[in-house]
Amino acid sequence: MRYDTITEAIGNTPLVRIDPTVHGLRHIDLFAKLEMLNPFGSVKDRPAWFMARPHLQEKAGGDGTVVELSSGNTAKALALLAGLHGLRFKSVTNRMRVPEIKELLLLLGAEIEELPGQSECLDPTDTDDPLTRFHQALSEPGSAYLHTDQYFNPRNAEAHAAGTGPEIVKDLDGRVPDWFVACVGTAGSSTGVARVLREHDPRVRVLGLVADKADFIPGIRTIDEVHQVGLFDPATYDSIASVTSQEAIDGMVTLIRRCGLLSGPTGGAAYRGAVRHLASVDAELAGTGVRRTAVFIVCDRAESYLSYVRRRRPELLGGTRRGHSAGSLTDSEVRAEGRTVGVDGARRWIAGGDPRPLVVDLRGPHAYAALHIEGSVNIVDELFEELVRTGLPFSKRTPVLLACPVGEKSLRYAALLTRMGHPDVRSLAGGVVAWRDAGAPLIRE
Amino acid sequence: MYLRPRVDPPLASLLRDAPFLHALCDALGSPLNVLLPETVAENAERFRSVYRRHHLAGRVYFAHKANRSSALVRRLAACDPAAVGIDVASLEELRHALGCGFTGERVMATGPKDRDFLWLAARVGATVNLDSAGELEQLAHLVRRYRLGRVDVLVRLSEFESDGGRTGAGTRVLSRRSRFGTPVGRAGEVWEALERHPDAVELTGLAYHLDTTALEEKARALERCVLLMDECRGRGLRPRAVDIGGGFGAGYVADAGEWERWTTALSEAVLGVRPPLTWRGHGYGLRNEGGTVRGTAALYPAHRSVAGPGYLDALLSRPAPALGRPPATLLLEHLNDLYVEPGRALVDQCGLSLARVLDVRPTGDDPTRHLVRLGMNAGDVSLEEHGVLVDPVLLPRAGAAGRRDAPPGGGPVGVHLAGNLCLEADLITRRVVYLPRLPRAGDLLAFVNTAGYAMDFHAHHAQRQPSARTVAVTRGEGAWRWCPDEDYWPITDPQGGPS
Repeated sequence: MRYDTITEAIGNTPLVRIDPTVHGLRHIDLFAKLEMLNPFGSVKDRPAWFMARPHLQEKAGGDGTVVELSSGNTAKALALLAGLHGLRFKSVTNRMRVPEIKELLLLLGAEIEELPGQSECLDPTDTDDPLTRFHQALSEPGSAYLHTDQYFNPRNAEAHAAGTGPEIVKDLDGRVPDWFVACVGTAGSSTGVARVLREHDPRVRVLGLVADKADFIPGIRTIDEVHQVGLFDPATYDSIASVTSQEAIDGMVTLIRRCGLLSGPTGGAAYRGAVRHLASVDAELAGTGVRRTAVFIVCDRAESYLSYVRRRRPELLGGTRRGHSAGSLTDSEVRAEGRTVGVDGARRWIAGGDPRPLVVDLRGPHAYAALHIEGSVNIVDELFEELVRTGLPFSKRTPVLLACPVGEKSLRYAALLTRMGHPDVRSLAGGVVAWRDAGAPLIRE
Repeated sequence: MYLRPRVDPPLASLLRDAPFLHALCDALGSPLNVLLPETVAENAERFRSVYRRHHLAGRVYFAHKANRSSALVRRLAACDPAAVGIDVASLEELRHALGCGFTGERVMATGPKDRDFLWLAARVGATVNLDSAGELEQLAHLVRRYRLGRVDVLVRLSEFESDGGRTGAGTRVLSRRSRFGTPVGRAGEVWEALERHPDAVELTGLAYHLDTTALEEKARALERCVLLMDECRGRGLRPRAVDIGGGFGAGYVADAGEWERWTTALSEAVLGVRPPLTWRGHGYGLRNEGGTVRGTAALYPAHRSVAGPGYLDALLSRPAPALGRPPATLLLEHLNDLYVEPGRALVDQCGLSLARVLDVRPTGDDPTRHLVRLGMNAGDVSLEEHGVLVDPVLLPRAGAAGRRDAPPGGGPVGVHLAGNLCLEADLITRRVVYLPRLPRAGDLLAFVNTAGYAMDFHAHHAQRQPSARTVAVTRGEGAWRWCPDEDYWPITDPQGGPS
């Protein structure tokens, strides 16, 4: 397959049947539309290209900036498309909630603007929200912004009416599925696909999935938020149901571990939402001899959501680490085995010890640079934790004085190093704070 | 469509004693503010326990502006002087704090200040939280001219957003602009001014206060302050504390589900797919543009899963944007004390406002919807003014025999709560409030958790309507005891001699 530009590879994604032994529906064939196989990695490649294309070609190489309200896949696709045309991309968002996606966007050259949080001392007469100001800035005369406006731009839905919808019909040999299941974000895919399917056969049923209100699933809006989407029309959907992040992760794990589909949580939510909804339909079909088909969208891939999974289901990402760790000691073990030395004793030890102790400051490098005990070395606690995991980082012949802000962490490490066989490790009692309060000298770099 | 209030034990037990509250209101009139001074001390202790968990030193300063009460301020004055101080924003608040037992060194003077306020703050040894370089010049002048001692000052900084400094490149976290404080970009002018007046002022710390619920913005400002503290020390100044202001928040509605159902219903009502939930279809800032909801609901997040001391803990524990270490660790490692100035969060669960039901009648257009007129007005309980939506608690009058046994109708009833002013707009809330049954004249409605900004902040004497009296109550042996707010002292057993 040879292309002149990567944008030609957008679309024509596979439609893959889910093994019935996995989903358990006996009278319904369930198909996954693998939008994650688009070149930039998601279902948003289509609308991003469809919305931006007319403007990109016209403005290519200029000093314009493509701008969109997105914290995820649309931003990703637009950042790549903008770069491809020599333009910049700016993503404006309430909050980037998935750190990997934020980092990925920065890697792609995007600029990210996060809107201010809600006011704590509210002035109810001030209804001028940050988004209103965002739109005002875009429409100022002479603005070099190219706003794709995915929540209101009809080309968002048209991208799917022109591509995703017809592809599904073609791959089902010209038939329309009995159910189409989509998560509602901008409502672009569900609106566009539903329109095409209904034109072919008005009997198709469309299920829209939204996120549980107190929950967060990437790319899916809650029932309140969909009302703020210009493309959202309740008439598009025969029913709307909500899914939780736990269901999304369950679905994602099933698709990954049982179906070979490297789906992210949004695809997982669509799968779980579909199976949950279709289960009762399936029961009614028993004994009728009728077979039905259903299609759901796998929106993007799993890799960008590891921290999302880690926060909600840490057990899926493996067990604990081995080796020596200060966290493995109990408080009473720390008290029993950690030796301390007070500020006066420490000063005498540093000045006249034979040999003199190595002073290790466990604070962060900025704090160390600002003020520290003369002659001390700085090994920040996170690094120290790694160093001691595999063994003693000092000779047993060198006495060690450990210092942290208040003498708590240093005591823990003193106990650990003692347990690991070091004969003379002591913790500075009261830490650097006590050292300062005693008027002992601290120097700056 | 309930939004039932979060009520913690002391306040809950007070609410269960309806005869006591009725008797108070009979004697002192409606509206009536009731305060629990013990609770404010318990809240201060909760903030202190967050300090202890992070090994941080420094004071919790009560933002006096949240409530004018003497009882609360006197109770806080009785707390450990090293742990609890007071933040005053006017000359009269300063005088009040001093009169309630705070010594000067426990007082922080904030906000823009006139000469009288600056003089008294300097005279009594309060810390002056400087709003601008101009204020610093004015203070230094006063100190020299009137031979006042050297004054401890904090420098309030703002506009951390435009400060490209050291926070993650490529990402800009936007913040609302503030009228207060010196922009970080112009901090150099303040350092120079401090160095010009070493005989008059001593820099003891840096301060900020951001009006936002977002932890990201606050973590950025906190981290920047820690780095600026080192910059100051590099210039030979000796600051010790970072003052991170207030804005820790309070949760008003107990149940997250109720709050979510109601806000969803508000969107639907604005779209016209369900009947209005408000007086004349008010949308609280949401509007319907061609079937799409536009705008932002100007509502306080009435249900908060993290608020008050828990919010402080979350702020201190999350990684800072540039250095990656949690703010608590940064403060500690850089040998800084922490000051906080909670207002609303410190008086959380510290009081309630009572109103007598004067009249109940069906509204003209909907026989199931009633108009309940109260012996108070919107200024007396300014929850709505601060965007806080929460139900009052109905306390039926037990007097007339048999009345309690036969409630008319059954189940929740939607009412509009109107105030006592002859003014169309005088509604206690524009929300339709659902009560478990229709109230009757003589019943009481208790608005819970009004001590933070909602009790006397907007109270006025329009139409010569009475403004609320305020009483302090304490739990005696098996019964509640009360005294007028101005007669409360921490050593006094209300209604009696020394305890």
